[in-house]
Amino acid sequence: MATVTVHALTYTYPKQARPVLDRLSGTFPAGKFSLLTGVSGGGKSTLLKLIAGLLPNDEPASITFDDQPLSAIAPGQRASTVAMLFQEPSTQFTMDTVENELRFALENQQVPATEIPRRSDAALAFVGITPLKHRKLMQLSGGEQQKVALAIIVAMDSDVILLDEPFASIDPPTRLVLLEKLVALCTKRGKTIILADHDLSGYQQWVDHLAVLADGQLHLLSTAETQTRFAAFTPQRLQLTHVQLPNDQLTVCLRGTQLGLTHGDRQLLTPQNLKFYAHRTTLITGPNGSGKSTLFKALVRLGRYQGHIAYRDTDIKKIHKRHYARQVGLMFQAASAQFLNVTVAEELALSQKYGNSTYFTSTRIQQLLQQLNLAGRDDRVLYSLSSGQQKKLQLLCMLIMAPAVLLLDEPLKGLDYASIQAVMHILTTVQRDLNLTLILISHQLSGLNDLVDLHLQLADHQLTYQGVRT
Amino acid sequence: MNPSLKLALLVLIALEVSFAQVWSVNVALIVVSLGLMLINHIPWRRLLWLTLVPLFFAGTLVWSLMLRGNASPHFLIVLFTRMFVYVYMGGWFTLTTKPLWLTRSLEQNAKLPSKFAYGFLAAFNLMPKIQAEVATVRAAALMRGEVLHVWSPRLYFKVILAAMNWSDQLAAAMTSHGFVEDAPRTHALTVPLVARDWWLFGISLLLVQVGLFVGLP
Amino acid sequence: MKRWHIRDIILVTIIAFFMGVIFWAIGPVYTILQAALAPVGLSPLANELVIGIWVMAGPLAGFVIRIPGSATLGELLGAVVEMFLGGMWGASTLISGVLQGFGSELGFIFTGYKRYGWFTLALSALTTTVVTFTWDLFRNGYAAYHLPLLLLLVCVRFVSVFLFGGVLTKLINNLLVRAHVLKN
Repeated sequence: MATVTVHALTYTYPKQARPVLDRLSGTFPAGKFSLLTGVSGGGKSTLLKLIAGLLPNDEPASITFDDQPLSAIAPGQRASTVAMLFQEPSTQFTMDTVENELRFALENQQVPATEIPRRSDAALAFVGITPLKHRKLMQLSGGEQQKVALAIIVAMDSDVILLDEPFASIDPPTRLVLLEKLVALCTKRGKTIILADHDLSGYQQWVDHLAVLADGQLHLLSTAETQTRFAAFTPQRLQLTHVQLPNDQLTVCLRGTQLGLTHGDRQLLTPQNLKFYAHRTTLITGPNGSGKSTLFKALVRLGRYQGHIAYRDTDIKKIHKRHYARQVGLMFQAASAQFLNVTVAEELALSQKYGNSTYFTSTRIQQLLQQLNLAGRDDRVLYSLSSGQQKKLQLLCMLIMAPAVLLLDEPLKGLDYASIQAVMHILTTVQRDLNLTLILISHQLSGLNDLVDLHLQLADHQLTYQGVRT
Repeated sequence: MNPSLKLALLVLIALEVSFAQVWSVNVALIVVSLGLMLINHIPWRRLLWLTLVPLFFAGTLVWSLMLRGNASPHFLIVLFTRMFVYVYMGGWFTLTTKPLWLTRSLEQNAKLPSKFAYGFLAAFNLMPKIQAEVATVRAAALMRGEVLHVWSPRLYFKVILAAMNWSDQLAAAMTSHGFVEDAPRTHALTVPLVARDWWLFGISLLLVQVGLFVGLP
Repeated sequence: MKRWHIRDIILVTIIAFFMGVIFWAIGPVYTILQAALAPVGLSPLANELVIGIWVMAGPLAGFVIRIPGSATLGELLGAVVEMFLGGMWGASTLISGVLQGFGSELGFIFTGYKRYGWFTLALSALTTTVVTFTWDLFRNGYAAYHLPLLLLLVCVRFVSVFLFGGVLTKLINNLLVRAHVLKN
């Protein structure tokens, strides 16, 4: 059991003027499950990393575990005090197999060699992944990797378990299993758990209380306040009032024939025939980790697939890569993957050079920048922009390219309400003016109604068009 | 044989062979390496690859020297066989040594600091991610109308940015899994280093010395 | 002087692997070049033309991770990967890796790991050429070539090393500096 106390913690990122955490104080009670929430980019990850001792902290005494700062704890004991499970499942392992990673972690804690197998096996059994013991980590799915990461923390017997948006890319059943195990760790083993997520949906029955991070300050809500907050919270609902089922009048632009998708040895999409329609906006929905992004990668020839994909009746493997890339573009989920230059102005100039310059005149681009609240940032380094600003700029860059088909992978991720409104307005206008084909994946569901014409749902490894729900 | 000693033996012999001009020793080393590869059940396709590659490169090298140099036939034979020594010995080593076991041995037997051993291993796992990143950067450029070549700085720039991110994430993850630089660790598996390893190492090296210095052609 | 930390070690290894991927990608070009030049007895020229890409891991690692030994380590690790992938030089790759890396490292040593500009890169390209060419005089029997060809080889090698390990590395470095991830 360990109580985490944060006292007057201030943290400023290098080369930033304003602190992200400003004399923040708060207590995370021992043996409780706290949900740390707040807007994207508000400092949740930073706070967790500071607690875990993963960022340099000028005042180590500002964070204590049962009144002891981490620096006062012997190096070999730190991981049994606090451990972290990260958002990106695949970059949190050192070794090749599950068993070797467990050995590595326990060796670091100087557990005697004879005791390592027993502790490893017990941890795997606790999380219910004993069959994965000899598997290669890189061949596991994101959900399995997160389970392994939890098993390692269980084996290390860490008192405080920190999780940074651990469910961002994993499927709902795995999420449930992990939440059950976390609650068991709290109630049966007295572990202190702090889980960060910007979205409150699906936590009400699991967590003890909410900790809200806003404007660099932390507010811990009591159990009663937490329940009130959850009661007032309504998860977003998808409301599509004018979607239609495909009909003969529509033109097919992309056609999958016996198209199947896999990840490792896991089938994501069982081979099926699939059509995407030109000059319309199609929304693809489905659970995390079900293969939506994998489908986009296949459509732009960045990933393997079974069967055939044709663009305007020509197999995409037979179209010259350079030519095809100008016809079917992808707005990547990670904004940084899109950028090729250093500053905002350079990035826009690149799009203008090769994009649709008759529509996107300099005046229009300036107007759009104004609408997106991005004006006057020409010389800013792209990678120092906030995640929301990056997302908006990324969208603008891809719109200026105006490919016949534009795939948008989570274009609204991490945007505030005003930005979502602006982006939706721009998307609707440009789509109409240039008669583009848009296909989008979005977890952000509100505000999509005006844009979406067709709705494709991915469920049970099958994609099917949906009509208006009554 | 202990992997660290095996590595030392490999590098020492390769170094000596690079300067020595005794083709009979080269042939002996080729025969021994070939034998060791066969005993260890080398897949025939791999053996074919390990034979054709040096055949091609040694062939072009010797041919160029014949046309444009004044090397003696003896020296040409030495060069030709030398290439096979490198590749066959390398083939034997990689066939019989697992990178993970070698790294553990270097940590335990050769006292390589554990931060180097596990830093390498952590990056090893990223190999597929690196390939995917190169493909993604090139695809992102194509969608914007640019073709990135091996001489395009932006290709390297983007991949290095990603690499910096990954190394931050991996370093944090290792710390979170209890790794502390220069702190003592236990070993779940110990790599044995026994007298027999030293004998094998010593005798092999001695035999090569004898071969090189008794005046064989 | 800066010490090695786990993050730097991971980064240098990734850069080495990345250069391995790049080198792997141009492998066919190299082989075709070699085969095309072979009939006229100029196959070593193929080697000299692409060697710049192969030795680039050294200066690149030296520039990105400014710790003594990073150039050598970057190049050595690239060699380790190449040997395990079954490259054409087998066991001698390891020795070449150390020598090539040390060749570039000399450029940084001579400037005391303080200057990271054109001078250091040009110097590093020169030291790399000298060290690696000396090694090839023995290993590949270059010493037996007629002098004019030998001079041509050494010049082409320097140009290749300078273009990739020097000019390209500097341009990459400029981008990284402008993106505020490296100091000037």
